[in-house]
Amino acid sequence: MIEHASTQVETAIAAVRAEGVTVAYDARPVLRSVSFTVPRGGMVGVIGPNGAGKSTLLKCMLGLIKPDYGHIEIFGQPAKEARREVAYVPQTEAVDWDFPVTVQDVVLMGRALEGFLGWPRRKDHERAHHALEQVGMTPFARRHIRQLSGGQQRRVFLARALCQEAELLLLDEPFAGVDASSEQAIFTLIDDIRDLGKTVIVVNHDLSILERFDHVLMLNQRVITHGPPSEVVNDANLSATYGGRLALLDEADETLRQRIAKEDKHLTRTAPD
Amino acid sequence: MQRKTSILLAQLQIDSSQIFAPWQYWLPQTLGSIAIGVTCGVLGCFVVLRRMALIGDALSHSILPGVVGALLLFGLVGANEKWLPLWLLGGAMVAGLLTAVIISIVHRHSRTKEDSAIGIAFTAMFALGLIAISSLPRGTHFDLKCFVYGEPLAIAAPDLWLMGIICPLVLLIVALMYQRLKLISFDPIGASALGVPVQFVHYLLMGMLAATIVAGIKSTGVILVVAMVITPASAAYQLTNRLWVMLLLAGSIGGLSAGLGMMLAFTVNAPTGPSMVVVVVILFILAVLLSPSHGWVFDQVRKSRLAQHVAQEDVLKAVYRLGEQRIDDPEPVGEETGLPPSRIRKSITRLVQEGLMRVTNGVAALTDAGQKHAQELVRAHRLWETYLVEKAGVDPSVVHDQAELLEHAHELAEALDKKLGKPEKDPHGSQIPRG
Repeated sequence: MIEHASTQVETAIAAVRAEGVTVAYDARPVLRSVSFTVPRGGMVGVIGPNGAGKSTLLKCMLGLIKPDYGHIEIFGQPAKEARREVAYVPQTEAVDWDFPVTVQDVVLMGRALEGFLGWPRRKDHERAHHALEQVGMTPFARRHIRQLSGGQQRRVFLARALCQEAELLLLDEPFAGVDASSEQAIFTLIDDIRDLGKTVIVVNHDLSILERFDHVLMLNQRVITHGPPSEVVNDANLSATYGGRLALLDEADETLRQRIAKEDKHLTRTAPD
Repeated sequence: MQRKTSILLAQLQIDSSQIFAPWQYWLPQTLGSIAIGVTCGVLGCFVVLRRMALIGDALSHSILPGVVGALLLFGLVGANEKWLPLWLLGGAMVAGLLTAVIISIVHRHSRTKEDSAIGIAFTAMFALGLIAISSLPRGTHFDLKCFVYGEPLAIAAPDLWLMGIICPLVLLIVALMYQRLKLISFDPIGASALGVPVQFVHYLLMGMLAATIVAGIKSTGVILVVAMVITPASAAYQLTNRLWVMLLLAGSIGGLSAGLGMMLAFTVNAPTGPSMVVVVVILFILAVLLSPSHGWVFDQVRKSRLAQHVAQEDVLKAVYRLGEQRIDDPEPVGEETGLPPSRIRKSITRLVQEGLMRVTNGVAALTDAGQKHAQELVRAHRLWETYLVEKAGVDPSVVHDQAELLEHAHELAEALDKKLGKPEKDPHGSQIPRG
């Protein structure tokens, strides 16, 4: 798959191409020179421990953070200009489930860029209806989002991504806190979405389902490895990903950080909220 | 005693003849205050949902130095009196914006948490405003009380113009921008990922809030105006799961509080700001108690309905087991169910209404339907006992009490039966009746 992917990249535009992406908060690097390519239509799992920079990487792909060095291209465009093509499915904890919106309201938010000031037109309602059908949530359209199970809540946000008609879907921890059967249902749904020709990138904690991805990207501030699960999922790579960072690099960063903090305040960069 | 009370009441300066004065003699001021109440309530929904209550408070307090500064400048320039409200509006907007900038500078460039930064910035601005008031040149008419607590009698024609323009304008903008405001309040990250101008909408909201507060400053006062922003919205939030309904409710509650607050203020001869807040808080408490989904009252009703349902089924089962019962002797059923006689009588009345029991010559007996229902209960009870012992590992000697509660969930009996593989007998060896 990996050779296959690289030959494909030369002929077609890659969905994501990251080159030397480096991001630091307060001169503390979160991503160090991260480079990878995701072919169009692929399904990629990004794994790594807490603090490995997974969320930061997602934010870079969404165009919310500009890397300090390096750049990210989405379908051959800078991330910031490809926003329409990128749909984001947030973590459940990041959503205010008490907010007074219905399932249908949330799905329609995928059409925010269409119409006048985000007012949905008939066409947008039709699109939202179709997206709800695709994820099997039509009967729940008028429900409040709090009245759904964990698996149903994920499906609503997947429907929003479909409604946006984006080509690249970024899923942040879609399997966190759902039971095994919901996990299977969500995975089937992601498979269906991929079959529509979309590219799907899943940030994931669960190591037991890695073989279902086309590609696995192991991240711990830097790219440990990436490739088809059959080739890269092994004990050596996993322990390199989860078994702590390179101590010397951390030490160097810390020295640098202190020097910057002491000598030159302008070099420090504050973390966005 | 009586006399003492009446003297005390007289000293309280309550004049009930004034209750309708706002409508008779101060109609424009009252309508203006209501418009401000409605607008604050509507804007408040977004403030509450975005958890910016503290920022709302900061905004209102920091307006004071802006207003005083504008007044000073106005006196220096000697401009036409009729433009004064616009000067005040401008001053307030500048001060509000300045506070927002100060907050973000202090928060980002020092080791200060955001809520502390907000607290520091707005109290500093407010203090500055209070000092600036005392430095106003002699002869400048500035009634501190009316700006701080609210004094509708000071509302003059230019203030009414300001209210009359700003309130409809703000409501119109909210209506137009409704989808945008909803999106950035619900999912700011998703919105900015889409390229929606989140910062712009944020400052637009802040600007509208500042303008509304300035327009209403003489009816609400700066100290308590934040209550008119967050309390109606919080009350509305108890009552609905739809954003547009929340906006309508919050607007109504805000307007109602402003109107009633005016009447209260005239009756007890108090400033209007505190009076409106007292009314709005009462409405908020009512909303908390009466909310159909989260409220205390309906919760109690639901609980007592469930208790009544359980009592009825227990009585039904007791009569099934004991046979016909004389109504004037509830003791056997009482012993069986542990229910007080009054409860038993009430349950029997209900059971008769539901056609599960009939009473002839003072003797209560089960109807056919009642017989069937009682069998279902016994079946559910025995199935639950089996389930608890087999699947949950509960000791057979104590399982009865738990099953006594679970049997009321008799809708689940079929699923239970299937799961257990249609057992013949319960753990105590009793036959499980087939449904």
